[in-house]
Amino acid sequence: MRSERYIPYVLILPSVLFLLFLFAWPLLEALLLSVRGSGGQWTLENFQRMAADLYFKDAVKYTLLLTVVIVPLQVVMALGMAMLLGGISKGRDLFLYVWTIPLGISDLAAGIVWLAIFTERGYLNSFLQGIGVIQQPQLWLSYETPWMIFLAVVAAEVWRATAIVFVILVAGLQLIPKEYSEAAEVFGARPWQRFWKVTLPLLMPSLQVALILRTILALEVFAVVVALGGRNLPVLAGEAYYWYNAYQNPGVAAAYAVIILGISVVATILYLRLMRSKQEGAA
Amino acid sequence: MASIRVENIEKTFGKFKALNGVSLEVRDQEFVVLLGPSGCGKTTLLRIIAGLEQAEKGRVWIGDRDVSQLPPRARKIAMVFQNYAVFPHLTVFENIAFGLRMQKAAPEKLKANVERAANLMHIENLLERYPAQLSGGQRQRVAVARALAVEPEVLLMDEPLSNLDALLRLEMRAELKRLLAESRTTTLYVTHDQVEAMSLADRIAVMNTGYVVQYDEPMKVYQEPANTFVGGFIGSPPMNFLKLPVEGRQARIDSLSLDLPMAAPGPEVLLGVRPEDLEAFTVQQPQSFPAEVLVVEPLGPHLLLTLHFGQQHLKATVPPDFAVRAGQTIWLKPQPDRLRWLDPSSGQALEAR
Repeated sequence: MRSERYIPYVLILPSVLFLLFLFAWPLLEALLLSVRGSGGQWTLENFQRMAADLYFKDAVKYTLLLTVVIVPLQVVMALGMAMLLGGISKGRDLFLYVWTIPLGISDLAAGIVWLAIFTERGYLNSFLQGIGVIQQPQLWLSYETPWMIFLAVVAAEVWRATAIVFVILVAGLQLIPKEYSEAAEVFGARPWQRFWKVTLPLLMPSLQVALILRTILALEVFAVVVALGGRNLPVLAGEAYYWYNAYQNPGVAAAYAVIILGISVVATILYLRLMRSKQEGAA
Repeated sequence: MASIRVENIEKTFGKFKALNGVSLEVRDQEFVVLLGPSGCGKTTLLRIIAGLEQAEKGRVWIGDRDVSQLPPRARKIAMVFQNYAVFPHLTVFENIAFGLRMQKAAPEKLKANVERAANLMHIENLLERYPAQLSGGQRQRVAVARALAVEPEVLLMDEPLSNLDALLRLEMRAELKRLLAESRTTTLYVTHDQVEAMSLADRIAVMNTGYVVQYDEPMKVYQEPANTFVGGFIGSPPMNFLKLPVEGRQARIDSLSLDLPMAAPGPEVLLGVRPEDLEAFTVQQPQSFPAEVLVVEPLGPHLLLTLHFGQQHLKATVPPDFAVRAGQTIWLKPQPDRLRWLDPSSGQALEAR
């Protein structure tokens, strides 16, 4: 009997070790790396160097802008798709599968797919030329038009990662007993009122999960940006990569990583605070 | 307040025929219970009246309005759901006020109605709480209060007590009866619990396999079941049915002859008799027949006997001090004015003529 008490701990031990070894330790290493100089002394030098860099301001700006544009767009679209799916009975699974196909595509592949569309000899130019809107190929993804790269990244990210929000919300909607919606209907709520007053509040826990997940991932956006714009659209994760790889400076790269971590933590805390459901205090 | 009238309702789910042309009328201010086993169509019928389900055929009238094509919100109904469906993100006050808010009721009216409904259900001290802070019984009270607050023309209840534990169910049953007798709201109530149906209803509509089998006052349904299904479904233990040979206008049990108030449909007839309508004696009596005791179950207020008569089983309830043991033969005297005669081939009751 006595030994059985240890079994649960033994069973979770592998995953705990795994997390310690591959997450906690590297995290600590990165933190230490960012606040230590080349001689091993404590310093803020790395952060100062990062802040003084030409790309730093733009990287912060574009990363935050991308997050602020992409995440709400994805949540609204995914919510719409999930609600539409709830109204379908025949062929529901087909829509579910088709809408979640992008989940299986890596972000770099997604970036290249959209590059094939926007590049100088890409599908977009061929199409526009074909219907006679333009006479010769346009250069869409140039350093002179960062807003165009920005829009291309938004399009690629929305196409690629809306599905994960969608899947979370579909699962969340299925957890809501249909009696709530029926009760609202019987007591006089119109479809929009049912959505705003009943479905959306009850979906809050799922929305919270989706928002946190998507925001953290959006703050780490990298491969799609590299594929479509290179460094013409600087982002934080990209800068970390360049500092580590091109400049061979792990300290500043770690400083960038710590900045991303900091923003992610703040965003998560905000979501948890602002979206705390009211009945939570109870149970 | 209003009457409910459904005409010829038919509903199919895939290949399953849930309702086979059901017609039913609930009078203004009447409390009607739809009673039947699961799958009999009672909840489907209620949901069709609520507008949550569409019938393939037939019409629904509330008062003199044909509501068949109206969405639930336009039907002036309120409903209490089996699992309460009390909104977890709203306080008790806002839950009760939900229907009034949707109607955009004036603030004074809203407050007055919510407080009145809360007082009726004795939950006036819980108004600021959230449902997660309530017990099952309290949530049920909120669900009923929410329905009463909108002052509906018709109140629909779908097994509202089935999720409560036995003691609480008994308490809520009596309370619902008092409440609805006071408010005089036309009520249609679905349950599979025959005791609940007997206790609450002005009239019971017994349903089976998508038909209304019998629609009458509780005691009528109990004492004069329309067929063997009703007699067997209502009453615990159920009604006994004994197949007896017919001689002229008489049916024979052993040496006892019982007069038939109607012509027998064939050489045999089915006698329906309730366990409590069999008087038991340890020695032979006039107007009685012998039966062998198989099982004696002391239930407190009475003993439940399982007996053998020829090849047929029957049950009898006898006073707790009746001295009997298994294996003994006793004499049973049926109460002559409590007998029900049925056709053994169709199971339908035979009417006296």
